[in-house]
Amino acid sequence: MALAIAKENVARWLEKLLQAGEVVAPVRSSCGDVLFSTITSAEQVVWDFPNSLHPPKELLLPQTDPIVRITRRGQHHEVEPIIDRTRRFLFNVRSCDAKGIAFLTRMQEMEPADASYLRRSNNLTVISLACTTPCQLGFCICTDSGPFLRDSYDAQLTDLGESYLVEVASPKGEAAVAEAQSLFRDATEGEVTQRQKLEDAARRHFGEETCHFASAMRRISTCRVPDALWEKMSDWCLECGGCSVVCPTCYCFSVKDLGCDGTWIRCRVRDSCQYSAFTLEASGHNPRAQRKDRMKRRFFHKVSAQYYKRDGAVGCVGCGRCIKVCLGTTHMPAVVAAIRKGKWHE
Amino acid sequence: MLAVPTACPFCSCGCGLYLLAKDGQLVGVAPSETHLISEGRLCARGWAAHEAARWGDRLRQPLLGRNGKQEPACWDEALDYVVTRLKKLLNAGKPVGVLGSARATNEENYLMGRLARAGLRTNNIDFAYRSVCSPILDGIEEVCGRLPPAIRLNDIAATHVILLAEGNLAETHPRVASFVLRALESGAHLITIGYRKTQMTRLASLHLQLRPGNEGVVINGLLAAMFDLDLKERLSTVIGVEAIRRDLDQVERTNEVRQAAEWIASADRAAFLIAPGCGQSDQRDAATTFAELAAISGHLNRSGSGLLPLVARSNAWGAWDMGIAPDRLPGHDLLDGARSRQRVEDLWGKKLPTAEGLSAEALLQSVSGLIVVADDPPSVMPRRQDAMAAMGRIEFLVALDAFVTPTTRVAHAVLPITSFAETDGTFTNMEGRVQKLRAASNPLAEARTGWQVLAELCARFEAGASYSSVSDVLREVGQAAPRYAGIERKLSKDGWGGAMIETIDSTKFALQPSRTTVMEELTSAERPYLLIRDGTFDWGCDPLICYSPTLSRDYRSEQKLFPTGFVEISQGDASSLKLGAGRRAKLSSVHGDAIVPVLVSRDLEPGVLFVPYGFRDHVSSVLGAHGVAAVSVERG
Repeated sequence: MALAIAKENVARWLEKLLQAGEVVAPVRSSCGDVLFSTITSAEQVVWDFPNSLHPPKELLLPQTDPIVRITRRGQHHEVEPIIDRTRRFLFNVRSCDAKGIAFLTRMQEMEPADASYLRRSNNLTVISLACTTPCQLGFCICTDSGPFLRDSYDAQLTDLGESYLVEVASPKGEAAVAEAQSLFRDATEGEVTQRQKLEDAARRHFGEETCHFASAMRRISTCRVPDALWEKMSDWCLECGGCSVVCPTCYCFSVKDLGCDGTWIRCRVRDSCQYSAFTLEASGHNPRAQRKDRMKRRFFHKVSAQYYKRDGAVGCVGCGRCIKVCLGTTHMPAVVAAIRKGKWHE
Repeated sequence: MLAVPTACPFCSCGCGLYLLAKDGQLVGVAPSETHLISEGRLCARGWAAHEAARWGDRLRQPLLGRNGKQEPACWDEALDYVVTRLKKLLNAGKPVGVLGSARATNEENYLMGRLARAGLRTNNIDFAYRSVCSPILDGIEEVCGRLPPAIRLNDIAATHVILLAEGNLAETHPRVASFVLRALESGAHLITIGYRKTQMTRLASLHLQLRPGNEGVVINGLLAAMFDLDLKERLSTVIGVEAIRRDLDQVERTNEVRQAAEWIASADRAAFLIAPGCGQSDQRDAATTFAELAAISGHLNRSGSGLLPLVARSNAWGAWDMGIAPDRLPGHDLLDGARSRQRVEDLWGKKLPTAEGLSAEALLQSVSGLIVVADDPPSVMPRRQDAMAAMGRIEFLVALDAFVTPTTRVAHAVLPITSFAETDGTFTNMEGRVQKLRAASNPLAEARTGWQVLAELCARFEAGASYSSVSDVLREVGQAAPRYAGIERKLSKDGWGGAMIETIDSTKFALQPSRTTVMEELTSAERPYLLIRDGTFDWGCDPLICYSPTLSRDYRSEQKLFPTGFVEISQGDASSLKLGAGRRAKLSSVHGDAIVPVLVSRDLEPGVLFVPYGFRDHVSSVLGAHGVAAVSVERG
């Protein structure tokens, strides 16, 4: 059963959520960029923006993530996990990002499960806003991750003009609503129909153009992408690693110790498989010393049937961030198109 | 989480990024779509900009050399000690000097200039990276005057032709490379000039191959081919055409240079990008010719076209502009210019010293007291070992830095200052855009803000003025260097708000008559190969890289894998000399010899060997004082 909340009541709901935990929502910086940040009041939330370039996955996979504290005690070392039990609400997140978080969580749940990540994601309530007007560069329709969601959220809002339709999909979503139950009412049949119409209209926005993942997947999975094509494309990559930084489904990391006065904090730090020494072995051997091999690896992971079978999805939620952030020109849609056509810049 | 908008501390592109801080600690970086240069993009370095300041070996308290080691001291004690020792040297008539830095802010550099000239009464002031970039900057200055008519970085994407004197643009200035890629996507022609194949040369429509000795022929060939075209009114902006035409009469015009010249002349918009290292035998000459080419093709006073010297470090341009050179004043005015001299004397209330100052290399060799700020000169200067040895002989060495470096390890007094992440201030990028740095976290432990420590030193040497904030310093910069007038006000608002320094409306460009237009044969039957020291800046030596866990892995893995260095050799030479990968070669020149491992490279022409800048020490005996040497090669 869908619910509805009048727009004027959203601030009061947020106040209740702020009392219950930390609320992370899109906020505009002094320089005009929108970033997902912890808010202290409802007015800070930005509603009018396509999406933030910096993804909210930062919340679950921070760039610097302290995992364990190691302390020297005489002859021994004491090791204690650093536990983050904060209850958090990720508010007004876009469909692609909600889907990205679900993707990450599925991966981290696989054995061996990552307790640190899961503790955080279990305490996170994802409240998304469906995209009635899809963003310019997004292609979520090709990756089944928007513009409206059927899963991967705890609560999904749809903008109906005067009010938001609220679909609740999990106990965490129910709990978030329960924080201010009196502000919600049951949605009318008309509102539910309106939501469906909005979804249909949003889907039509994308037109006929799709990203053609299927045909690229066939080629990648059966090694039918010529090496020369990878080599050619790799000259258009400037190895910034931005694609992995902003990709909602990327989770490459490295582990480093931050030492200070007899204590070390073992941190998970963000990394990218596109960096030249990411796979450098202690022997000096690097299985992916050439950029073309690193690119090949990245797109194999994201688009091959082998991984599709395991993950149940391509490693892309169609958010279009890589298009904006790519210092070169080798973002997802460009590479997928090149693989499908078998040529690059011709 | 705090998101602090600031300028990227690495190269001189001047991208904008947010430093993310949590509980007063740096935790990450976020991109900005609203920043004019970055437009949401960053390179690998930018994405890891928070790391070095958080993970690095930081200086946390003043250290004084006592009993053969560096011992902690309090600030008062340390400052008293520094001032007393330096005054003692000055009173004894011994030479002292100051080294500024291409990674220090404009405000810090400006105060260093004031400290040196008004406080220590010397013109012995320079910055180490100037020894690398001054040949090309001087060369350009000969043609264009003090400020080259820079093309805006974002305009590069809309150019039709890009002439790139290539070091390794994709690595040194990824943001510039990114704009070049965008121009190429729109059908622009990229013409590269360089000694080796690189990512950029592979994408080029035309590559003009350099070999030490032929630079004059190739670049002047291009100039000659340009003069052969009908340039009409374009020549009205240049002086000295006839003399130069005579010089160029005999120069060979290959089909390639004719093609390149046609593209450049017919383009509405063209970018001329020159990296340090081009023209190994005479970089200054190469840069002059390069600027002349831009001038006669009419692209220097056309909007959307222009020239950019690809200086590596973030604030090289700012240090240059703050007058961190023995013969310059703030604004890069000449020290012996009467008006500029008077202006600075009035402002500082002191007569400026008249004795000629020493450049960084000479200064290291001959001063008794030296203040080094935010730099490790040996790792930047071409002759690292000489610089390190010279520094070891200095009677009293003071280092102000945020990071532990080889320089701070040998200093007699160490004053811990803020890194870029903990201070407010400004950087000037390669276009001449002044941008704000904003502190994202507090100074570490007892470290103090760099400009405040320098202002304190100025005061103790009776060169003081009082500043209540870093904006006061920038305001004073505007008085000392008219081109910076009003910048402080323009930057006082929120937001990115970079401000361009005032450009001189130079409408006339001076062509330089004397030039090398003949092929110089550097090799001999006895030494048939050429060893080239790569001019590409060695980022691996920069504390911002070597203390970043992510970046150090990529930039320094070669240092770990090849502790005795290596030289690169072409495939053809490797097979004829039977030098497979991992083999050692004995290189001998007139200066000396060295045995080093070789790496076989697909990117080199036969007859040429390359040594990365970071490994220059291992062949310094072969190179002598030069960037190139004729060598014999045999299995070692």
